[in-house]
Amino acid sequence: MEDTPRLNFMWHLVWDFRWELLQGLLTAINVSITALFTSLIVGLTFAMMKMSRFAIVRGISTTYVNIFRGIPALVSVIWVYFGWSLLFGYNFTVYQAGVIALTLLYSAFFSEIFRSALEAIHKGQREAGFALGMTRIRIFRSVIMPQGLKIAIPNIGSMFIGMIKDTSTFTVIGLAELVYIMQNINSQYFQPFVLYTAAAGLYVAAAFVVDFIFRGIERGFSYPKQSAIKRFLTRKKRAQVQALVEANS
Amino acid sequence: MANRASGGQALMSLRGIRKSFGSSEVLHGVDLEVFAGSHTVIFGPSGSGKSTVLRTMNLLEEPTEGSVIFEGIEYGPGVSGTKPKRGKAIDLRRQVGMVFQQFNLFPHLSAIDNIALAVHSVTGKSKDEARERAAVELKKVGLIKWAMNFPGQLSGGQQQRVAIARALSLDPKLMLFDEPTSALDPELVGEVLAVMRQLAETGMTMVVVTHEMGFAKEVGDQCIFMEDGYIAASGGSDFFETCTNERARQFIGSVL
Repeated sequence: MEDTPRLNFMWHLVWDFRWELLQGLLTAINVSITALFTSLIVGLTFAMMKMSRFAIVRGISTTYVNIFRGIPALVSVIWVYFGWSLLFGYNFTVYQAGVIALTLLYSAFFSEIFRSALEAIHKGQREAGFALGMTRIRIFRSVIMPQGLKIAIPNIGSMFIGMIKDTSTFTVIGLAELVYIMQNINSQYFQPFVLYTAAAGLYVAAAFVVDFIFRGIERGFSYPKQSAIKRFLTRKKRAQVQALVEANS
Repeated sequence: MANRASGGQALMSLRGIRKSFGSSEVLHGVDLEVFAGSHTVIFGPSGSGKSTVLRTMNLLEEPTEGSVIFEGIEYGPGVSGTKPKRGKAIDLRRQVGMVFQQFNLFPHLSAIDNIALAVHSVTGKSKDEARERAAVELKKVGLIKWAMNFPGQLSGGQQQRVAIARALSLDPKLMLFDEPTSALDPELVGEVLAVMRQLAETGMTMVVVTHEMGFAKEVGDQCIFMEDGYIAASGGSDFFETCTNERARQFIGSVL
């Protein structure tokens, strides 16, 4: 190996290990998707707490958000995986630790995204619901949330891309995600430039796919122009309305 | 005025309503009776508290002091010394419809779904039944052909008519109108007033805050002039001719 020229880029490694790399990316996405759902739920809870009537509840939410927005993913996962084990003697699997670490961080971001989206809804919307005699829960579910989600979705998409990238730090706990696999291959062939560039390429490709999917979801919430999927899902209702229009014309 | 002469009980009474926002009091004790089938019009300069009075009638503004009595049940903090039967705001609101200056339609729902959501979530009717009811109400305001349009695709006048249909779909006993034509282009005011006139003719009890003095004069059988958080002058359908309050006469003269 001493005779190997310095600039011998072994790009073929990317192809040779294509299945391993893909497997690593899928692991990263798998952890991220699970964490996306958990952090959306936790984030929404903290957003609602921040809009609470009670100062102490708002305070708890603010404190949580400010702490966990500021913590790096690397620290978060070390706390969860090693810290929890040391303090309480309970061992999470690397997968669980990854999901929890991401949830702690991203629920804080989602909380702020939801809060700003929900606060962007004009107060007249809530008043109209009250004036009609709708319950608070119904107003939130059927009036505020659908409008707020439409505003929040592009930001949620960006955050999800961030989550996928942050899984790269989970190498430290031995999660077999993309960077971890790259490191293993690298230790054999010593081709860091090739391998990490390939990793970057895969993350970027994933980002494009995520963006595409979230644009689709966003279209599902758009009005008045409706996507083909939404039109298909609501075809029965539209037929009923059409019949009612004709019957009353 | 429907029942006043016969000494009947008012459908809604306001007793000593005071309202403060922070340290400034905007209503200084308002008493008002609304009889079934009557049409009350409230007018006065901006900042006089007329919208706030209207909004206490369905407790969108909780009075700082005083009571809203609707069909014998008392709402709000009450007048001291009484021990009345207390009601919940939501029960009052389900019997009182309201139309806003800014329409406040739900922009993510079509015209028919705006109405159907209200019917479905308040009366518990199935979504299909709710849409059937919604179609009937849309037809009444002449907008059945626009059922599938979203608020953003409707003119201001059409939006306000949908809002009126939405409120009526819950069979209210009292309808509140908070400057319903103030946000409309002049040429669209007529279609909304026509729907309201039609509603008045059917005997609906209405309280209307408005700057449309022509409409007030025509429809109002209880006229209220407000100034600085008080009812400064009031009268029956002949108020516009017989009113002696200097400020009210001035105001009517400047608007008419």
